Amino acid sequence: MAGDIVEIVLRAVCVLAAFLVLPLLVGQTEHKVMAHMQGRLGPMEAGGFHGWAQLVADGIKFSQKEDIVPLAADKRVFRIAPALGIVSYLFALAVIPLGPHTVGADVPGSLVWVLAVGGIGTVGTLMAGWGSGNKYSLLGGLRTAAQLVSYELPLILACASFAIAAGSLSLVGIAHAWTPWWLLWQLPGALVFLVAATAELQRPPFDMPVADSELVMGPYTEYTGLRFALFLLAEYAGIVVMSLLLGVLYLGGWTGPFDHQIGWLWTLLKGAIFAVLIIWIRVAWPRLREDQLQRVAWLGLVPLALLQLAITAIGVVVTSR
Amino acid sequence: MPERELTVGVGAGGLATADMVLNIGPQHPATHGVLRLRITLDGERIKAAEPIVGYMHRGAEKLFEVRDYRQILVLANRHDWLSAFSSEIGAALIVERMLGMDVPERATWVRTLLAELNRVLNHLMFLGSYPLELGAITPIFYAFREREELQAVMEEVAGGRMHYMFGRIGGLRDDLPMGWTGRVREAIDAVRRRLPDLENMLVGNEILQARTRGVGILDPKTIAAYGVSGPIARASGVDVDLRRDQPYLAYDELFAPGGPGRVVTREAGDCLARLEVLLEQVHVSLELAQACLERIESLGPGPVNVKLPKVLKVPEGADYLATENPLGFNGYYLVSRGDKTPWRLKLRSASFNNVQVLSTLLPGTLLADMVAILGSMFFVVGDVDK
Amino acid sequence: MTTDLPMPRVGAGQAAAPKPMRLVLNWGRRYSLWVFNFGLACCAIEFIAASMARHDFIRLGVIPFAPGPRQADLMVVSGTVTDKMAPAVRRLYDQMPEPKYVISFGACSNSGGPYWDSYCVTKGVDQLIPVDVYVPGCPPRPEALLQGILVLQQQIAQEKLQTKSLRGRLGPYAGRRASAAEVSRPLVAPPEQTT
Repeated sequence: MAGDIVEIVLRAVCVLAAFLVLPLLVGQTEHKVMAHMQGRLGPMEAGGFHGWAQLVADGIKFSQKEDIVPLAADKRVFRIAPALGIVSYLFALAVIPLGPHTVGADVPGSLVWVLAVGGIGTVGTLMAGWGSGNKYSLLGGLRTAAQLVSYELPLILACASFAIAAGSLSLVGIAHAWTPWWLLWQLPGALVFLVAATAELQRPPFDMPVADSELVMGPYTEYTGLRFALFLLAEYAGIVVMSLLLGVLYLGGWTGPFDHQIGWLWTLLKGAIFAVLIIWIRVAWPRLREDQLQRVAWLGLVPLALLQLAITAIGVVVTSR
Repeated sequence: MPERELTVGVGAGGLATADMVLNIGPQHPATHGVLRLRITLDGERIKAAEPIVGYMHRGAEKLFEVRDYRQILVLANRHDWLSAFSSEIGAALIVERMLGMDVPERATWVRTLLAELNRVLNHLMFLGSYPLELGAITPIFYAFREREELQAVMEEVAGGRMHYMFGRIGGLRDDLPMGWTGRVREAIDAVRRRLPDLENMLVGNEILQARTRGVGILDPKTIAAYGVSGPIARASGVDVDLRRDQPYLAYDELFAPGGPGRVVTREAGDCLARLEVLLEQVHVSLELAQACLERIESLGPGPVNVKLPKVLKVPEGADYLATENPLGFNGYYLVSRGDKTPWRLKLRSASFNNVQVLSTLLPGTLLADMVAILGSMFFVVGDVDK
Repeated sequence: MTTDLPMPRVGAGQAAAPKPMRLVLNWGRRYSLWVFNFGLACCAIEFIAASMARHDFIRLGVIPFAPGPRQADLMVVSGTVTDKMAPAVRRLYDQMPEPKYVISFGACSNSGGPYWDSYCVTKGVDQLIPVDVYVPGCPPRPEALLQGILVLQQQIAQEKLQTKSLRGRLGPYAGRRASAAEVSRPLVAPPEQTT
């Protein structure tokens, strides 16, 4: 009994550590990758070697900032909003397996769990947009809502395709069922997932809710100090969750040479591929318009995802005979 | 794109909505400067837009009246900080014309060269900042790399990176440094070689095309009504360019048949056309600069200014002279009563007219298109407010 | 609408920290200066040039990704502050959370610059808000801004941040919140007729 409790606490601490470290790694990678793509160096001073401690300095700074709640804000909603985004991605990260046994909580239907709690984070953004009492925030919040409605569906359809192909709703089970053939016949699903995930994360080219040249910072306009830092952390945690998820679903997670010893490393590397891809897209492309995004979602992604679903279903029926 | 509107609601007439009044500016990321737009929104659609100017009004026209003719150039430099040299040459030209002064040929060609390089610098700035408004963060880094290249040679000759103060009444401040023309040629070649990178990121990008094609179409009639000029007018097919139509400096020779000068026009009149005009003008200006260089080298050494009296007084009278600045017509109306300062120096700046057209262009568009249109009007706030 | 804002306090992390922690806290503020570019005129272009690849102040931890005042630590006032703009400058400064710093970039925001005798230009932004570092030039070179940032970073490293000192700094500037009337110049009276 006591052993169980120790194990649970240990697992929770590990997940929390991963949750705090991985987003910072992604953030620092973004700083550096973006800088070098633009012929710059990025942060170089903080912490000495190539500015490795830039985000640590950011964190320390944010903790010292004055906490401002605007007079016109819906104060309770305004205060709770940042926590929601953080918590949802923390719960999502807890069930993503790094190896067959390296997982925070091995839930049977972990794919459903990830999709369910992942959507909650967006509600946090919506609350921020409403609660700030700011017109820019409100517009940003409503854009978030519109985006959420149009992108959850392709995301779930793409995930359904992976689940059907593996015959399992557990992420561990899906990774176990993975074969190199998936690279080919699940490709459309992976593309749909990547695009929909980018939109869900509100990353460019789908960052209309926070479009700085239009809406200043959308729902986050009024946030200062730690609360703003939490939103930033949630954004990068979102990238971690979505990249790892795609790594597990489409690239087979820990599958690779020596996967008994360094399986976790393979999962992280595969996730890193998609994280860098998401960063690269931000550097390369402008932002779409809100109605163009809806068009992409409903006329491009949903049919593509349905097609993928049909292909997978037929494939499973044919091969299982 | 045909507009479809669907109203869903209970009872007659759908849901009642209230309009929202949104202030873009005076300090807003999109206005790069302090232009203020008062926008009435219905959802995301703009119902009315009103540019409110004056936040950058520095009273330059009034200050002209207490500066003597040599000092005027300092302020003429600064109202449009991206076309400093073109503006300062305009002021020098009008004073010279009223004085009946002849400028040495070498000075005229150097002025033309610097004005064209300044045009390239100006356009590169907008080619970088416009995509930034649409969310593309990288092109500005490419644009500034080229700007730094050209600014280095401009700085070598003038000593300033933005406000050159190299023109003087009657010519130029100094002769060119030794070997400078060779370095300019290298810089021009380098910029030309790397320009395709920037072009691919701009007009070669599908998303950028989707955001700008067919957005903010300006028709020639509105252009005539508002006095819009420069690249924005030419993007709508209004074929007017003072360098060719009313030549000053050495442009009559450059724009003569068979010369390197040509006027870039587009027919579409949308944001993409405006961007394309800007891009192609960079090429044309680099060609013009190269032609100027060849001419300067073949002219050989000679005087670059004339000796001025200690107290420079312009004879009584009034005159108007307009130059084709990078952003459009830049006119000076000079009234002199024979003093050493102008009695009145009225400034006709390009951006002021170009920005006014926003109030007819914006209604009916989406908020996201607003930034696309605003950015494509290529204005400098100091040029709006003077 | 004017509202009286509470006088500034330092954030939770700063208030609770013991003295030896000050070194770490100052280090954090020093290398994480999210900058809000109050770009007004010519100098704004040189500010942008300073953030571009050749000069690149992001190396120093000056992050130009703060879209609004709420997320910013450093405000760089670059360009001519006019009397019409003055209330907005003050208002955006008030919206920034403490601890905050201001660099006045260029002759115009230092003193009015070439517009020193204009009827509508504020002769120096330090009439409106407390300025930490002045960078001279018209416009200053991007290198001058880098130097200004280094000077500011040295100041931050030696800073003793207390609620009292924060409030003291705002003292001469009409407290926490200044109304538009306080930062604009009153109407100029016509010259008296002597003859």
